[in-house]
Amino acid sequence: MKQRTITYLTDANLITCVIQKDLAEPVLEAAKNAGAQGATISYAQGTGVRERMGLMGVTIDEQKEVIRIIVSHEQSELVFETMYLAGQLDKPGKGIMFMSALERVATYIPDDVFEKLS
Amino acid sequence: MPVRYSQYLNAAAVRHRSVSYNALAPIVDGRGQKPGRISLNFNQVIELLAPYCGIRIVEQLKAVAPLAAYLMLFQLLVLRHPVDSAVTLCFGLIAVVIGLAVFMEGLSTGLMPFGNIIGDNLPKKASMFVVLVIIGILGVGVTFAEPAIGALQAFGSSVDVVKAPYLYELLNNWALPLVLMVGAGVGIAAILGTVRFVRGWSLKPMIYLAISPVFLLTIYAWFDPNLRSVLGLAWDCGAVTTGPVTVPLVLSLGIGIANAAGKGGSSLSGFGVVTMASLFPILAVLILAIFVSFSITPDEIIAAAKTAGNVVAEQPSIWDQTPLAEIVLGVRAILPLVLFLMFVLFIVLKSTLPNKMVTVYGLTLSIVGMCIFNIGLTYGLGAIGSQTGGVLPAAFMEIPVSESSPIFNIVTGLSIVIGFAFILGFGATLAEPALNALGLTVQDLTNGAFKKSMLMYSVAGGVAVGIALGVSKVVLGFDLMKVLLPLYLLGITLTIFSTEEFVNVAWDSAGVTTGPVTVPLVLAMGLGLGNAVSAIDGFGILSLASICPIVAVLTMGLVIKMINKKTEHAVTG
Repeated sequence: MKQRTITYLTDANLITCVIQKDLAEPVLEAAKNAGAQGATISYAQGTGVRERMGLMGVTIDEQKEVIRIIVSHEQSELVFETMYLAGQLDKPGKGIMFMSALERVATYIPDDVFEKLS
Repeated sequence: MPVRYSQYLNAAAVRHRSVSYNALAPIVDGRGQKPGRISLNFNQVIELLAPYCGIRIVEQLKAVAPLAAYLMLFQLLVLRHPVDSAVTLCFGLIAVVIGLAVFMEGLSTGLMPFGNIIGDNLPKKASMFVVLVIIGILGVGVTFAEPAIGALQAFGSSVDVVKAPYLYELLNNWALPLVLMVGAGVGIAAILGTVRFVRGWSLKPMIYLAISPVFLLTIYAWFDPNLRSVLGLAWDCGAVTTGPVTVPLVLSLGIGIANAAGKGGSSLSGFGVVTMASLFPILAVLILAIFVSFSITPDEIIAAAKTAGNVVAEQPSIWDQTPLAEIVLGVRAILPLVLFLMFVLFIVLKSTLPNKMVTVYGLTLSIVGMCIFNIGLTYGLGAIGSQTGGVLPAAFMEIPVSESSPIFNIVTGLSIVIGFAFILGFGATLAEPALNALGLTVQDLTNGAFKKSMLMYSVAGGVAVGIALGVSKVVLGFDLMKVLLPLYLLGITLTIFSTEEFVNVAWDSAGVTTGPVTVPLVLAMGLGLGNAVSAIDGFGILSLASICPIVAVLTMGLVIKMINKKTEHAVTG
């Protein structure tokens, strides 16, 4: 039986950005420019602030996109900031984002890449 | 340690600070934990409103501005004729953009939730018969609310009563019954479409069944020289009805009902209604025209129009003046639909709305938007369309409005005019957002065999050929039916050989191309052109613009099927 290998990646962070549906494109673009390898996007429906704003709630799209990106520890600060600025999250009603440390990440790592690193 | 320039810029431009979420979140005291209403200051309101309005206005601007610019530049550079009353035109076009933006937002926040709630709940609480009756009445309501239908009524007065008495009579004295009949056609189409959803009928036999009476009545009307002029209008009505109000509302109802009946989920279930909704109004208008022809003779109409023309001197009442007339039209278009939807929701379903304030806001927006759009229709889209249409013949013949006419010799001039129409149709169709959505659906449906761009270009090409044909019909004055009927026959022949999927897509593609900007513009241009070359009527362009993409898409579908078969043979052999 052939022995199989699991390569664990350490020092990884997860950036999650919940943003109004139409505004996701620039955020994704910015993240890629800042060095993000890829992104997982899911569609979601938000609730909370919209309902508490009365009529002004219509200005915020109920449909959201959730962008999840795994970044290395070193990239994380730059990617996070770039995404924040590109999504204009410093304006009201645009969205929210957060970053959390990941205990372990595992995916396909080619053998030659692994050997070069270790 | 080296520092990247971008990192330096970021650090210099972005201020970092931290605050504990504990300090922000409400303190837990065991009661009254529900967070209160958020109050906003002026700056925050502006920051929220600016992108909200901006996105929606830019969306409409993208549809209107290139078309208007194309028409104006063509008129200035090729026809060498100044744009008359340019300031009014610009304000009119701005009104169109704002009106459409406001109306579409009202549609999605106000009217659509109604449609969805009713579609979800109605089949559970009412019998199939009641559901079908309500859908039928709704068909009439949405037709009134369709922005493009106002365009039909607005151009009635430009028809020459002596040349086309019944057309004049229909558009002027029978305007309300005309729209009602078109609405009834849409209503019947909506009912049939819903039954089709639930029963899972094939679209092909329905097309044959719907089109045979249309053909019969058309041929009957064609042999009556007085009725012949109505045919262009009747066939154009089919294209007008399938706009931004009818399609989503009827679809949301139909899909809700199909889901409730357990027959939903098929990727094709959304199709077919548009096709039916563009065939039945033709039938309805033809029936009305024939009814009118039995009740009044052409001579009576001409006599009545002459006496009416003599008493025109009386002061028009304040309600007939701009902008009140447009506002009345707008309110009359939306209010019945809203009242009917409310009646169904509150009385029949005994249900309530989840978010009253937002719905009321949306309904108000849709009425206000409709009014602004109507004003823009009169002064913007309609005006520029009829103006360019009126100057267009200057390219090849002598007309009084243009001193330098004819600018070119007859062959060059005619080709320029037809080329102008071709590009107009191609550009306007590619700009239509609904086409993009249809393209994606088709790509999924055919597992990528029919590419999105391929569909978009064949539809746009079809519309372009259709509009070019229509314009040459108006200019050269050949008989519309001699082109239209063979095209429809070709379409039906292709339908027989095509698969169910392609039939659905192709016949529906005609509906997506006739949006609220294209329809008034093309109608006005056709009528302006018709008046300038003193043709009998300027109708018919839209109907040609709906059949040509059908033929184009069906042909593409068959070609793709043939290529696929060949490659399969090559692989196996």
